[in-house]
Amino acid sequence: MNAFDDPELQELADRLASPDPGLRRVAVLDLVDCPEPEAVTLLIQALRDPDPQVRQEAAKVVDEFESEDMADALIAALNDSDEVVRNAAAHALSDLKDPAAAKPLLAALEESRDPFVVAGILRALKSLREPAAREPALARLNAADPGVRREAVGLLGWLKEESNLPALIDRARDDDDAEVRRAAVGALVYAEPASVAEALRYVVGDPHWQVRAEAMNSIGKLHHQDSLPLLIEATRDNTWQVREKAADAIGKLGRVEGIPALGECSRDAMSNLRKAAIGALGAIAHEQCRPYIQTALDDPDPDVRKLARWAQSKLSAA
Amino acid sequence: MPIANHHSAVPVTVDADKCIADKGCTVCIDVCPLDVLWIDESTGKAHMKYDECWYCMPCEADCPTDAVTVNIPYLLR
Amino acid sequence: MNFDDVAIIDTDVLVIGGGTAGPMAAVTVKERYPDLDVTLLEKANVKRSGAISMGMDGLNNAIVPGHATPEQYVREITIANDGIVHQPALMAYAQRSYPMIEKLDSWGVHFQKDETGDYDMKKVHHLGTYVLPMPEGHNVKKILYRRLRRHRVKVENRYQATRLLKDTAGNVSGMIGINTRTAEPIIIRAKAVVMATGAAGRIGLPHSGYLFGTYENPANSGDGHAMAYHAGADLANLECYQVNPLLKDYNGPACAYVTGPLGGFTSNAFGERFIECDYWSGQMMLEFFKELESGKGPVFLKLDHLAEETIQEIETVLHTNERPSRGRFHDGRQVNYRKRMVEMHISEIGFCSGHSASGVWVDETGATTVPGLYAAGDMASVPHNYMLGAFVYGQICGESAADFAQQRSEFELDKTLIEKELIRLRAPLERADGIPPEQMEYKVRRLVNDYLQPPKVSRRMEIGLERILSVRADLPLLKAGDAHELMRAMEVHSIVDCAEMAARASLYRTESRWGLYHYRVDFPETDEQQWFCHSRLYKDESGAMASGTRPIAPYIVSLGEDKDAYNQLRVKQAANA
Repeated sequence: MNAFDDPELQELADRLASPDPGLRRVAVLDLVDCPEPEAVTLLIQALRDPDPQVRQEAAKVVDEFESEDMADALIAALNDSDEVVRNAAAHALSDLKDPAAAKPLLAALEESRDPFVVAGILRALKSLREPAAREPALARLNAADPGVRREAVGLLGWLKEESNLPALIDRARDDDDAEVRRAAVGALVYAEPASVAEALRYVVGDPHWQVRAEAMNSIGKLHHQDSLPLLIEATRDNTWQVREKAADAIGKLGRVEGIPALGECSRDAMSNLRKAAIGALGAIAHEQCRPYIQTALDDPDPDVRKLARWAQSKLSAA
Repeated sequence: MPIANHHSAVPVTVDADKCIADKGCTVCIDVCPLDVLWIDESTGKAHMKYDECWYCMPCEADCPTDAVTVNIPYLLR
Repeated sequence: MNFDDVAIIDTDVLVIGGGTAGPMAAVTVKERYPDLDVTLLEKANVKRSGAISMGMDGLNNAIVPGHATPEQYVREITIANDGIVHQPALMAYAQRSYPMIEKLDSWGVHFQKDETGDYDMKKVHHLGTYVLPMPEGHNVKKILYRRLRRHRVKVENRYQATRLLKDTAGNVSGMIGINTRTAEPIIIRAKAVVMATGAAGRIGLPHSGYLFGTYENPANSGDGHAMAYHAGADLANLECYQVNPLLKDYNGPACAYVTGPLGGFTSNAFGERFIECDYWSGQMMLEFFKELESGKGPVFLKLDHLAEETIQEIETVLHTNERPSRGRFHDGRQVNYRKRMVEMHISEIGFCSGHSASGVWVDETGATTVPGLYAAGDMASVPHNYMLGAFVYGQICGESAADFAQQRSEFELDKTLIEKELIRLRAPLERADGIPPEQMEYKVRRLVNDYLQPPKVSRRMEIGLERILSVRADLPLLKAGDAHELMRAMEVHSIVDCAEMAARASLYRTESRWGLYHYRVDFPETDEQQWFCHSRLYKDESGAMASGTRPIAPYIVSLGEDKDAYNQLRVKQAANA
């Protein structure tokens, strides 16, 4: 058992050594109020307690401590037999900010097979933006578990390295899981637009609407002018949310050729889409936008009318 | 002016079998912003003493044994 | 118990209120001068106190480079607040907004990021992009607590401050209060004081019938407003109430900033949008109020047009953050976002700069008009501050208070004030019988609803003031059976103070401004000639509640063309008003 100079800490240590798991559990709760940095060693001890309820309690308070001080213990807890403990550990790991934590994480990643553990470690490495995580992340892009692939995509996206684009494009196009494809499409926004043009052309035809909507978003963020025809096409998508994002993106591109499609959208039954369309027409602020903006001044929806007035002022300023 | 007591159905219930206040736990009592949860001297368990609830949920969310339930108060149901 | 019987605790900087701004102020003092002794006093428990006890679901005033500029923000808030702002204070917030986000991010607060790790800013209207979602924002309080422990800030939970202390020269020098569990008095002597006691959220009465079913955390009973007033500080623009949209009967916010970026909106009974105003403001609330009362009412939160995936996302955010009992409330009434619109209403009135503009006057350094006293968060006068503003002004006040404490010389406490307060604190427990706090509180808050709630009518407010003063005369009758009731009794004192302030401030400004917040039916026009100024409320030399004006400091960001654009919208809006 540990011995501590601080009497409060010593008292907690004694209680944590009690044979009664109920008392140990309450001692863990009190650990949170202890300002001594060494309290974390007691927490780590509690994370290894033989009683699952004590471990759960410790896991629930891990986010009240600095994760840096217990990276190893948290990695170990990812393998706990108890789900609450594993989830809490994964969550706390993703709060790691200290670059020094990367090393043990990478070591653990190498040895881990369990999808939950792997995904947790990848998520922790993601926010550290650790370049050495690149290789293992690439290797996990083909993991059987979609949760693992999703975290691997996230990690590579945060690294923003050009060399990872082909792998991300692969996931964006061909992954079986819609959330993985969506994440990968969202990650493409750091690219030189031309290098992902072909991929964007492909993913706008994705069967899942959220992937298509993400594609519109990415085209807008990339300001990829050559994708304009894709956006115009998407303004006729069956799902209004996709049409909405397409209209937004046309506005970001600022292209006159998109005006007729936006004009169509400005007559859509869904007011959210009319808003996006008039917003985009205002962003383009070309003379050809005027008739649509004029009509929208009398739209039944006040948000559309507001945007129309704003768009009109943009026109007169242009 | 004399003062009378009146009854009120309170929203927070504590499952006495699950509550470990007798082990020294005071989590729900500590986190209540309105200090309405107290130890019931007769049972040693937590209970809602004052009907001054904001139904904000920390007592339920932070209870280590899931003994606390915050119900929506009757007048709001 | 007399002055000499009460132990005096000494500290360098005292922070009153452990919600959002308070912990930030305390940590900031320690970061600046690690050797200073900092005490954080909290009426509840800092782990779960204040407006964000269960976290927050997003920032709606994030000024992130590339998405908005400080100048743009200052301009928009100036317009939203009908010109009555202290722009240097807005600018101080605006410039520190992004560094604060970065600081909180480094502490582990979860902001939404895109797939490359950049902040995932959302545009809600065409004017500026300020919304940064926090779908996992439930950990904010834990993170603050971690920081408090790390810096060894002394935390005193379950203490209610009731009066600020002064030295013989008139500088604020600490506080006197009570332990809410034992009723023991406590005196803390401090070289500087930061107040962060939150909104005055328990002035009006919610429709539900529960005194504590308020929009704001009901622990925020306006104690800070009352204490600052009695210490001689100026309060500003109190007639600019807070009134917020909320779910009918349930006191949680409508969360347009959560649902808006995902396509949800506020609608009338026909499922149509009706809000013309672009800004969260009293103008918007006036439209809300009028629609509510009209043939197209009531008002609803409309989500039933959204996709299943989107609704699940909304449910996850709304039912785990800020007011998580919302899901349970809906279940009880078989309300499903997919199937039907959710009925909304408006909240009772309050003073809260978080969403509105009124509070204890502070400048851009967080200083009140009393030396040694600083104020931050929902109680201070910087408009539309929300959670991020509370953090920023917590930081600013922490810095200012630390500097003030550093250079302060020895001082003597003013004993007469303490003796007087000890008598006031003792009275409710010493009475054999009297009026329970709950009854007196209900009475004064019912008067607020009946007489002070907008639309405001002069004669009605005059009657209200008279009736509130008659409750004030009853304060000595308060009877407390235990320490807990003593806390409630002292809160009733604050509530009566705030109710009187609301009445007097509203009567003083003889014009209409800020939409519904100060809509005076018998003075319907905005009078820029006479009333383009802050209103002051303060305790005059005779101890009476007095009013006055404070000129608007010269703008540092001109309104330019945007003001005209806004006025154009106004004209349009008047037609349907």
